[in-house]
Amino acid sequence: MDVRQPDNPLIEIRDLTVEYWQGERWNPVIEGLHLHINPAETLGLVGESGCGKSTTANALLGYRPRGARYRSGQVLFAGQDLLRLSNRALQRIRGRQISLVPQNPTTALSPGIHVGDQIVEVLMVHRYSKTVREARERTLDLLARVGLPNPPVIYKRYPHQLSGGQQQRVIIAMALACDPQLIVLDEPTTGLDVTTQAQILDLLMDLQGSYGLAMLYVTHNLGVVAQICTRIGVMYAGQLVEVAPRHVIFKQPLHPYTQGLIASVPRITAPKQVRSLLLKGLLKRGELPAGCPFAPRCDFAQERCFAEKQHLTQVSDQHAVACWRWQEIPSFAQRIAETQSAVFQKCETAGCKAGEILLKVDNLRAAYTLEHRRPFARPLPRVVVDGVSFDIQPGETFALVGESGSGKSTIARALNGFIPYVTGELRFDGKYDLTIPVDKRARDLLRALQLVFQNPDASLNPRQRISHIIGRPLQVFFGLSGAALRQRVEALLEDVRLDRSYYNRYPDELSGGERQRVAIARALAAEPKLMLCDEVLSALDVSVQANIIELLADLQAKRNLAYLFISHDLAVVRSLAHRVGVLYWGCLCEVGTTEEVFTPPFHPYTYLLLSAVPEADPDQVMPEARKDIGLIVSEEKPACPFALRCPWRDPAHCHDEPPPWQTLSRSHMLRCHIPIEELRQHDIWADRFRRA
Amino acid sequence: MVVLRILFLRVLWALITLFAVSFIIFTAIEILPGDIAARVLGRYATEEMKAEFRRMRGLDRPMLVRYGEWLSGVVRGDFGDSLVSEFNVGEVVLPKLRNTLLLALYAFILYIPFSIILGSLSAVFREGVLDTVLSSLTLIGLSIPEFVMGTLLAFIFGVVLGAFPVVVAINVARSFGEAVQMMTLPAVTLAIAMAVYAIRMLRDNLIEVLESDYVRMAILKGVPMYLVVLRHALPNALVPALNVTALNLAYLIGGVVVVEKVFAFPGIGTQLIDSVFLRDAPVVEACALIISAVYIVANLFADVMTILLNPRLRTAK
Ligand SMILES: Nc1ncnc2c1ncn2[C@@H]1O[C@H](COP(=O)(O)OP(=O)(O)OP(=O)(O)O)[C@@H](O)[C@H]1O
Ligand code: SF4
Ligand code: SF4
Ligand SMILES: [Mg+2]
Repeated sequence: MDVRQPDNPLIEIRDLTVEYWQGERWNPVIEGLHLHINPAETLGLVGESGCGKSTTANALLGYRPRGARYRSGQVLFAGQDLLRLSNRALQRIRGRQISLVPQNPTTALSPGIHVGDQIVEVLMVHRYSKTVREARERTLDLLARVGLPNPPVIYKRYPHQLSGGQQQRVIIAMALACDPQLIVLDEPTTGLDVTTQAQILDLLMDLQGSYGLAMLYVTHNLGVVAQICTRIGVMYAGQLVEVAPRHVIFKQPLHPYTQGLIASVPRITAPKQVRSLLLKGLLKRGELPAGCPFAPRCDFAQERCFAEKQHLTQVSDQHAVACWRWQEIPSFAQRIAETQSAVFQKCETAGCKAGEILLKVDNLRAAYTLEHRRPFARPLPRVVVDGVSFDIQPGETFALVGESGSGKSTIARALNGFIPYVTGELRFDGKYDLTIPVDKRARDLLRALQLVFQNPDASLNPRQRISHIIGRPLQVFFGLSGAALRQRVEALLEDVRLDRSYYNRYPDELSGGERQRVAIARALAAEPKLMLCDEVLSALDVSVQANIIELLADLQAKRNLAYLFISHDLAVVRSLAHRVGVLYWGCLCEVGTTEEVFTPPFHPYTYLLLSAVPEADPDQVMPEARKDIGLIVSEEKPACPFALRCPWRDPAHCHDEPPPWQTLSRSHMLRCHIPIEELRQHDIWADRFRRA
Repeated sequence: MVVLRILFLRVLWALITLFAVSFIIFTAIEILPGDIAARVLGRYATEEMKAEFRRMRGLDRPMLVRYGEWLSGVVRGDFGDSLVSEFNVGEVVLPKLRNTLLLALYAFILYIPFSIILGSLSAVFREGVLDTVLSSLTLIGLSIPEFVMGTLLAFIFGVVLGAFPVVVAINVARSFGEAVQMMTLPAVTLAIAMAVYAIRMLRDNLIEVLESDYVRMAILKGVPMYLVVLRHALPNALVPALNVTALNLAYLIGGVVVVEKVFAFPGIGTQLIDSVFLRDAPVVEACALIISAVYIVANLFADVMTILLNPRLRTAK
């Protein structure tokens, strides 16, 4: 192996091959992996879903999940091979010298035990603290250390009484408890809001400095690794294809896969995105060639690539790549420059006549349940969406952004007639009233308004063939059958770039991205005028995401389709939406064109959201001054819903006087007491949001 | 407090159920074929004698009136007099109830650790030798009726080995030790019959919990396996198993009928069967009502435990 070893790595994976029992045989999911982590460094491990990141993380803890086996290789730590240690010896290392922060904090904490006691448990089993009392004191210190307010109160909480961000902090405190040398973080912020994620990243960066501990940070989020990691390893189909310091990975990636991956990430500061020409197709685990696993998708593949295994080769002191053609492949900068001509364009709204309105939402209030405020008083709806107004023009993408719980999905559900208590004016296509529930709607309306969900698995019947799934709305709405039906289904499959071979397949034979396309095709089959897309990209990998973003834009251009696009991913919104509404605690606080919303002056909340997004560019450092306290919800909503959390609130009127809507341009409005002129002059808006 | 309200509703519901059951029992016995007067007075009684007997015992009045009287007595703890023996029903049933409760308690004490230990071992070492053997045994256990099992045990331990008495004449036991020894075979029979369900249930629950993220987390923070099971896995796996235990408790009181008969144990089950045979309505009613009450209380208990063991509900405001 010609990978140069550092003098003294903290932990080292050598030639690791892991197999899983899948169906009826053992399949390798990691093959010949070499990786080392130096003391006090943060190594990022990125790659598409299923590439073996979590499997690698498990190996670092010497953990063998059921149905897995270590075929070959070693994990060397302090002179021992973790894969060959007894359970007893592993117990002494896990949680003491190497600890884990898993992906989902909600399920990782024992439901019936006070969170504080769960930390005490680690301290006691490793005899890190001599007495329970000492352990309790240390636990309180740790809880304070990870930024939890009022440690004695948090100590006595059960996991379900904490928010996702707080739970993850508890887990981090637990991981830090015994002063470990290495923390393995497996997607620690996936599933958290951007603002919460930013706080957790802050905390981790802080720890990097003060403890001098090493971290392995596993994620599919390139923005996060760009911010927090010193070195980055890129995995593809169970192999490490490139390792380099983060600047090199982001600025001069050599491997074609890394290049494609980096180019696929939507940027929050760069509105236009490089067309995802760089990564085509999908990772098909079952059809990997004997040689380079990336060969079926690689633009530079030659015969030799398919036949010959590629090993990591050192190309400079810190940089290794697994591609024998690395010297011949054009540089990243050059490839980007070449594809600039094909820059992804948002469909311009030129198609629609000015002033024409497809959907008008005026003062929408929506509630799921009734609430008894006082005994014997008439119960009132518990309002989740409170007086929201916006409109959507034909052929336009309107995006709703905001943290989880802000009411985004409720708005989509209300438009679809799924919410029991709805008031306000909801007019669609001039003639339809959307306050009526879904079961009383005219067929034409059902057809013209289609919904696509976040999770395609839940909405596609696994026992129906793709042809049936897409054909159903064609039969119902247009009475198609026989050859005409088949022709139309095939045309729709082509529209979402799935070839005919999918016609007779079942959903579980498709990847997540392909299933999402089937869901989109089914919605398109009804020939809607407006599609409600609720987090349709959230569950997908960046390269698949890039494909679907492009697909949605193409379809819009072709069919003059309008989207209500709900997403918590601001970078995606920036690359796709024409106009954006920012939602907080059920109220809109800013509406404008994407350009207007994403550049100063900002509404204070918009700024908080934007500054929390980790940009996939190591030069764009996250703004330091973000002492955001996180989502606060109390019984009484202040006049400005954001007042409990706003760093610029003015106690004189923000709590009691509803802030006015201020108009900045014909399309741009924001709701705040701070006068526009003052907002414009705010010097705190970080430079990165200024228009280039 | 949400919990208090839920508890209150559950108790109220249990009382309503009990009331309904009392009515059903009373009606059922009323329409049961067979004539008590003929039973008590013998084959040669004349119609007049029978009518006189019914009048004396108040059996000729409308059913609803008698039900009302009976119910008001029951509420005061008075089940009326036995038609056969002229003793108060309480005097007949109470000693039997005590015997049965002792037997049930004994069986229960055996059952709990037995199922928890075997269920846990099977789950932790799943697909191992122990698990495979236990799975087969519980499967067999599920398919044999308890009177066969009782007879089998009685044969092996009582007749062949002579270790325990086969006929349980508990009333003649001279010491506590002897009573325990006498009750062992029926208690073991009952315990096994219940454990068969519980072991399977606990095993499946525990396997699910052992696959959970928080158990994996506990393992990966270096907690020894036995502590992982005791602290993190078992408490969460036991909650669903509680319902089985409630059903088991209920079964215990009913299944006891059969097992008592096998071992000729003087309990409430034996009493019930004998009284049905004699058409002694007040005693049958009392026994049936007591058994139903135990059943309902057992279920109530399981629900309450489930609520109290669930931190989400316990802490809800
Ligand atoms: N218990 C299991 N049994 C069989 N196959 C498994 C098992 N766990 C994972 N795999 C397979 O192993 C491969 C690698 O899985 P792994 O969880 O390491 O991926 P990952 O990179 O962490 O993905 P993600 O980003 O989705 O978490 C995948 O193809 C997956 O389907
Ligand atoms: S080895 Fe060949 S197929 Fe693999 S990345 Fe390099 S050029 Fe592409
Ligand atoms: S109105 Fe006040 S509290 Fe609300 S966003 Fe503006 S400054 Fe902040
Ligand atoms: Mg993973």
